[in-house]
Amino acid sequence: MVDMAASEGEQQNLQPQAKAILVGLAGWAVPGLGHALLKMWGRAVACFAAVGALVVFGASMRGNLFGPDGADAFDKLGFIADAGSGCFYFVARAMEAAGPDVSHALGDYGTRFLATAGVLNLLAALHAYEAAHGRKV
Amino acid sequence: MLKLSHFQAMVLFALIISIAFGFFGRRRLTEQIKYVLWALFLFLLIGIGVGWAMYPFSR
Repeated sequence: MVDMAASEGEQQNLQPQAKAILVGLAGWAVPGLGHALLKMWGRAVACFAAVGALVVFGASMRGNLFGPDGADAFDKLGFIADAGSGCFYFVARAMEAAGPDVSHALGDYGTRFLATAGVLNLLAALHAYEAAHGRKV
Repeated sequence: MLKLSHFQAMVLFALIISIAFGFFGRRRLTEQIKYVLWALFLFLLIGIGVGWAMYPFSR
């Protein structure tokens, strides 16, 4: 009897945890989707617009978008930052058909824009995960 | 390719990040607007301040 009650309690705890993980992953894959699932519309739109704008401007400046096959630790960290923008990583890749050009300062700024978009989206996904737990509103 | 000056790129970056911080950091709309403006002001102030601090070593 006690075991059954404990098992039910574990299941009840597992469900919000699974929901929070799903919300976090959705927020990472599509910027703003995590907050949209929680009906936080203002934050969802702000996240989508901010990450989208950073990616579009960064790619327009021909910033460097790191690939998964980085040669050193900085390249790998760069890829983690860039991949943080979820589906927008592929948007940036599609926009940069001619490849990056960091021979000018603007290209270097573009690299920062793209990395910031990813890190900002990871922060937003973490915020959505915490909000799904009820720890942040 | 987009053409922006250093200052325009900094303002654009500061504006986008300030808006995002405002929406994530505060809940009510009035508080969010205040936070956006405050963060934008600090971004620009510190950016220009650091720029001037580096000026003697730039050449």
